[in-house]
Order: sequence, then structure tokens, then C-alpha cells
Amino acid sequence: MSIAKFLVRRTLQAVFVVWGVVTIMFGLRAVSPGDPATLMLGEGATAETIARVRAQEGLDEPIYVQYLDYVQGLLIGDFGYSWRSNREVEAMVIERIPATLELAIAATVVALVIAIPLGVVSATRRNEPADYGATLFSLLGISTPNFWLGLMLILLFGVWLGIFPTGRRPVGLVEAIWTLVAFGSAGDLLTWLQHITLPALTLGTYFTALITRLTRSGMVDELGKPYVTATRAKGLPAVLVRYKHVLRNTMIPILTVLGLQMGTLMGGAVITETVFNWPGLGLRLIDALDARDWPLMQGIIVFIAVAFVTINVFVDALYSSLDPRVNDE
Amino acid sequence: MSQGSGFDLRRRDVLKATGVAGVSMAGLAGCLGEEAPDELTITLSQFPDTIDPLDHITGDYFDVLDHIYEPLFDFEPGDGIFPRVVEETEILGGGVTELQLRDDVVFHNGDDMTAEDVAWTINRTVDNDIGVASDIGAFGLGSITGAEAMDDTTVEISYSGAPGLAEFEFGNYARAMNRDWSIENHDADQEGESISGADPEDFNGTGPYEVVEFTSGEEVVLERFDDYWGEEPPFERVVFNSDGESSGRVSSLETGETDVTINILPEDVNTVQNADNVEIRRVTSFRNIFLPMKNTVEPFDSQEFRQAMNYAVDNAGIVDSVLSGFGEARGQPVAPGINGFNSDIEPYEQDIGMAESLVEDSGYGGIEIELTVPQGRYLNDAAVGETAADQIDQLDNVNCEANIVDFGVVSDANSAGVDPDVIEIPFYMIGWGTITGDTDYGVQGFFSQDAETRSFDDEELSDAIAESQSIEDPDERRAQLEEVNRIAHEKAPFVFLHTQESIYGVREDIQWDPREDETVYVWGMNQ
Repeated sequence: MSIAKFLVRRTLQAVFVVWGVVTIMFGLRAVSPGDPATLMLGEGATAETIARVRAQEGLDEPIYVQYLDYVQGLLIGDFGYSWRSNREVEAMVIERIPATLELAIAATVVALVIAIPLGVVSATRRNEPADYGATLFSLLGISTPNFWLGLMLILLFGVWLGIFPTGRRPVGLVEAIWTLVAFGSAGDLLTWLQHITLPALTLGTYFTALITRLTRSGMVDELGKPYVTATRAKGLPAVLVRYKHVLRNTMIPILTVLGLQMGTLMGGAVITETVFNWPGLGLRLIDALDARDWPLMQGIIVFIAVAFVTINVFVDALYSSLDPRVNDE
Repeated sequence: MSQGSGFDLRRRDVLKATGVAGVSMAGLAGCLGEEAPDELTITLSQFPDTIDPLDHITGDYFDVLDHIYEPLFDFEPGDGIFPRVVEETEILGGGVTELQLRDDVVFHNGDDMTAEDVAWTINRTVDNDIGVASDIGAFGLGSITGAEAMDDTTVEISYSGAPGLAEFEFGNYARAMNRDWSIENHDADQEGESISGADPEDFNGTGPYEVVEFTSGEEVVLERFDDYWGEEPPFERVVFNSDGESSGRVSSLETGETDVTINILPEDVNTVQNADNVEIRRVTSFRNIFLPMKNTVEPFDSQEFRQAMNYAVDNAGIVDSVLSGFGEARGQPVAPGINGFNSDIEPYEQDIGMAESLVEDSGYGGIEIELTVPQGRYLNDAAVGETAADQIDQLDNVNCEANIVDFGVVSDANSAGVDPDVIEIPFYMIGWGTITGDTDYGVQGFFSQDAETRSFDDEELSDAIAESQSIEDPDERRAQLEEVNRIAHEKAPFVFLHTQESIYGVREDIQWDPREDETVYVWGMNQ
């Protein structure tokens, strides 16, 4: 099967996944307790006002009509209006993407920068103190809930040592880079770095631990294969064997996991953003949940679902270029 | 030296350098991040998700928006209504009161404020056909029917109730929006349209502060409005942000990232008290917590049974144990400081023997009931509800279990009315803040037979409320409202629990006393 056919198949699957998410979200909205109009208006709203709001929002229509209207809206890019702020949901989602993206990228960078060298060292120095240390770190990293880790980092580096702020995002990365390039001032960039360090460490720790373990086990497998012996016999330096041949082959499953784990990263971002008051999609989702702002909640989750499947299709494409055999599977 | 070890050395160097650079940059950034001395940061628990000054009814919104769209009157909890933008009022009779406005008030965009603006804003609040269906109109200005501008500085307000009731309502909830600006920029006269947007220019009030920066859902930065008609407010710059977690708000306070935070949970109080340069300030709020019992279904149709539930619950003990003392036991629907609060009424005291005897008298001995309790809405609500249910369950002749649910379930139950065919949850926990400062707001929706959402159906209580709404003399009206509270205590439509305390974390050098109505006004502070 060609790469193009493979991608078309995966894209179609992705469309069905998104449709499933849209439908489940709509179903949850239908069965969740609490009348949205009452919740929008607060305690003690009059029946007349409630009826008026229900009619205004189309909540008095049969459920299938509401569903079809919603899906039709999504197809033309209309996610509706937030029940609370009366703003377009698309705008409310888009304005929060940079913050979440910054956090996800920073966490991934933290994970890759720490995990890959650690995994390589652990695999090449098996049963030595470095290996034991890396294994212990992985175990702790995977076992530690990130809401707890976040709070501990805030307590240690924010409250006790006063090195890092306890949360918020006073400046965005793009704005900070622009200030640096246009005005030669690094102040904004330093502020950004200062504020993102603890959230990125919190979100990236689980990821770091996971990739360390994957790198180690992948490297150990690969190092035992005949082609490694052959490359060594050819006289290639050890570092080239490790990083050019062995690590490259190890990267294939790591890349897959990296893609699949983006969902976990998004899920973790909801918690991390809440702990650090980081104004991304996760925090907005929690706010929407608290306010029972269903259009906003649905918009965010649909966006996350689209992002998730897109990343996975992209990873599959990358995987197929790294290992063409997957196209035939 | 092998190439491999050479690589290791370089990698270590890079890692070391990165670490050192990171810490140095963070330290440098910390120095750059110091805030100016004439700036105040207030961290709320919820950031306003609507910028329309009429599309809300809760405290966090007033905290932010009242600095931009100032109230027409000053309301001092316990003391009443005082002139502000309105200089004088005169009751004209026939359900009309005249307001005389200041003539030197300007909007942040430079337009003069006129009586037309005030009248239009009041009409937009109470008339659902103009702009957004306003929560303030539905609950705050319930008796106000409309307003009309008579000249540039005179407005006549019409109402259907007593002048005293109307004064409490417009005294608390009347604001001024710029009519022409609102219509031209936001179609705010169209049905369902609210003021919305994500720019500082989307705000335009007459308050002492104007918006200079706005990040929707995150932060709003205010600066003194140079052309403000009144006294200069105490801080040049005020930042409002929010953190949904009490522990997060406390951390921000400890590290100096914020100066005032609201809604500190009892379990976080010690952390603030042990931190340097900050302290806890507290005040008994206007928010009462209680357990309504719908008297159109068994066993709550028996007054003896309802009174028994009140005797079964140790509300003073709950305040001490579950709320760590941050509350006051209560025996009537409203809190002290509210017009009509009856100071002769004491809370029911726990008396198990009396409770069991009253249950027997009611004929419902051996009954099983369920108490539905929300989680996360009020101060330690689930724990309060579970404790109350457990205390009722300890009666020999009643079995009671708590059912912890999402707040939406309880909210629906509260507005479901008293038709026995539709009641699914007859016994639940709810909280009510009587923010107008008048008993009517705390009882009308629960007990008046005109209110479809009432939770208690009783002619005597409903008639007493109706009578209070028609009395014009303020002293007579207050006496009648005290009578309403006495009847409510006796008929026990609720298990009366407590009045919740508002707990704030504040920088020590800020002079400020928290208000009972839960609003935070910067103009009431000093440093």
C-alpha cells in the first residue's frame, strides 16, 4: 500500500473518531443533571425567564434536532456562542491555544532533553549506579501524580525558595520573542521562562520517565542485534553505533508513543494548568465545566479531539516514512 | 581519550551550562517582575466570564465591574443606602420615586452621563426585550417596572411594591451604561444581545477606574480615571485576576504575587496566618445555608416533623467542627444586618429527646428520608450535609442518609416548585445570599405563593410577605419583616443551619474591613 493510500485510510478513521467524540459529548450534555437554562440564570430564576432562555438557546427542541443543528454548525465551523460570555466559542478556543501549545512543547522538550540521554546512558551502563538512578527516577516519575508534583514544586521553588512564581502567564512566547527581536530586550523572554519552568517540569515529568524507560529498553534490545555486532566489526566508533544506528531504530517506537501520549499530555495539561493557573485550554475547560457552559466545553473537547487525531495521523505518516513496512500492515 | 568519552564530556558541559543559565535567567526575571508600589492585585476565585454590567448577579463580577460601572448609590451593609451618582431621591407616590443625578459625571470615553443613560440602563435591566435577559433584573430589581428621563439630571423610577422595597432594589442594583455607545458598538438594545468583546475599549462606565488592559478570562488591569467626578481612589493601578484553587490563591498571597484574595478555605487559614506580612480577615456574610423541606409531600407536611429536624441537628456544633468556627448558627432565613432580621429569634438548639418526641407526634416515626447535598458550592458543603444527615439518623425513629450530588441537581430541585407530582427531591441543601440587604429578597422566592419556584406552601407566611411589600413606612415595614422571620422560624420550612463567613487573605499594611455583602471595593481600602 502506498503512503498516500495509507494516509487516506487513517484520515477517514480519524474523521470517525472525531464524530464519535462529538456525539458522545452531545450525549453527555443531554443526560447530565441540571437544566442548562436554570444553571445559566442562577438560583431562583422565574419560570418565565427560564422558558425564555430555553427557547432562545434552542433547548426546547427535540434532542435529535438539537444534535443535527449542532453537527451542522460544526461542519461550517460554527461552534456556537458561550452561554456565559456570549462570545464565539471558536475565538475563545483559539485565544487559549498558544498557552497550551507552549506548555505542551516545553514539557516535550523537557522530556526529550532529559529522557533520551538518560535512557542511552542507562542502557549502555546497565547494572551500574547510573542505570539504577535512571530506573529509580523513571519509577518515581511515572508513579507521581502531576497535581501533587505541581503543588510540591510550588511549595519548594515558589513559596520556600522564592525562585519561581507560583503560576500565571504574564507574557506569551511569541510576544516575548518579538520583544527580543524588535527591541533587543530579553526581559519578557526571561519572565516567560520563569513562569513556564515549573508547569513544564510538572507536565513533563511523567513523559520524561516514560521515554527514559522506552529509550533504555529499546536500546537494550537493539544493542543485542546482529547488525550492531556487524557495525562494530566494521570498526565504527561506539558513539556512532549508539547514536546513528541504534538510537535511530529505537526512535521509531518512541515516536509512536510520543504521538499517542499527546492525549495524555492534553489531559495532564488540564490538571497542570489548573494547579499553576496557566491560562490555556485546560483551565478554560475547567472554568467552562464549573459554569456549565456546554457550548464552550464541547468546543474545547472537540478541538482537543481533532488535535489528538491529527497528531496521530502525522505520527503514522512519519512512522511510515521511517519504516515503510507499516504501510503493508 | 576516546570519542565516546569526549561526547559525554561535552554533553555534561552543555547540561551544566543550561542549568546555570536557567537559574540565572529565572533570578534575573524575578528582579524584573517586581510590581510598582502604587499597584494593588486582587485575586478572585472566579474571573468574570461576561463583561456586560447587567449580565450577572454574583460577587466576583461586582468586585470587578463595579469599579468600572459604579453603583448609582453607596450601599453600606446594616446602614442602608447613601447618595453617590444619585444626589437626592424623592418619593412622588403612586409607585414612583424621583432620582436627582449629579451633573458632572462622564463616561470613560468622554461622553457626559445623562438621565437618558440611567433610565435606559434600568429599562434594559428589567425589560427582557431590551438586550440580555438580566439576572439583576430578574432577582435584584424584582419590583421595578421601568424608568423615564424627565430632564438631563432627573429620572423617575416606577415600581409595583412599596417604596422602601424599591429603594433597597435600585439602591443596590442600579448602574449607568452609555446608551448610544452600547447601541452603536454592541447592539445592546436588541433582544438577547449583551456587551461582549476582548478589548479594553469594550468597557465604558463612569466608575473611578477605567480598563487599560484586558485578557479575557485571565486578567483585567484598571487605572485611575482622570475625569472621575468623585474622590481619587487609593491606588493608581488595580489588577484583578483569578485562581480557582484556594491553595493557589494562598500561594500567590504568600509569595507577594497578590495583595488581596477572597474565599480562603478554613483548612488554608493557618497557612496564611503563619506567613509573613499577610493576614486573615473575616466577616459574617449575608449568605445563609439551610435545608429546605417541601411541605407538600410526606413527611415534611407536618410542622412537628420539620421542627424535629431542626432539633435533631446541632448547627452550632457543625459550625465549630466542620467550619472551624467560620460561621454563625442561625434560626431564621436571613442574617444579622439584613433589614427585618429578628434579633429575638435564637437558633434551634439540639435536643434529641424533643426531636424524637416531635417525630412521634407527627405520626412519621420509623420513616426513612434522604438529604440531597451539593458538593463544592458552599463552604465545606458536603461535610456539613453529611454531618447533618448523620445527626438526624441518630434519632431512634428516623433513618436519614446524605446523597452528595452535583450542584445542578440541587439547583433544579430548588426551582421545581411545590407540585407534589413533580417533586423528586423534597429535602436538600441550598445557600442564599440576601445581597439587597432586605429580608424580602431572602424570603419572597421561597415562601410567596406568587412565586412558582417556591419551596414552601403556606398561606400565613405568604400573606405576611405580601403585607410587608405594601407597607410604605420603613419602620412598620421592618417590623412586619421581623414578623415574617418569626413565622418562618416557627413553621420551620428549613432546617436552619448557619450564616457563612467570608474569609479573605490580605497584605497586612492594607487597611480594609471586609463587607458583609461579599463585595470588595478598592475605594474602601488604604495602605
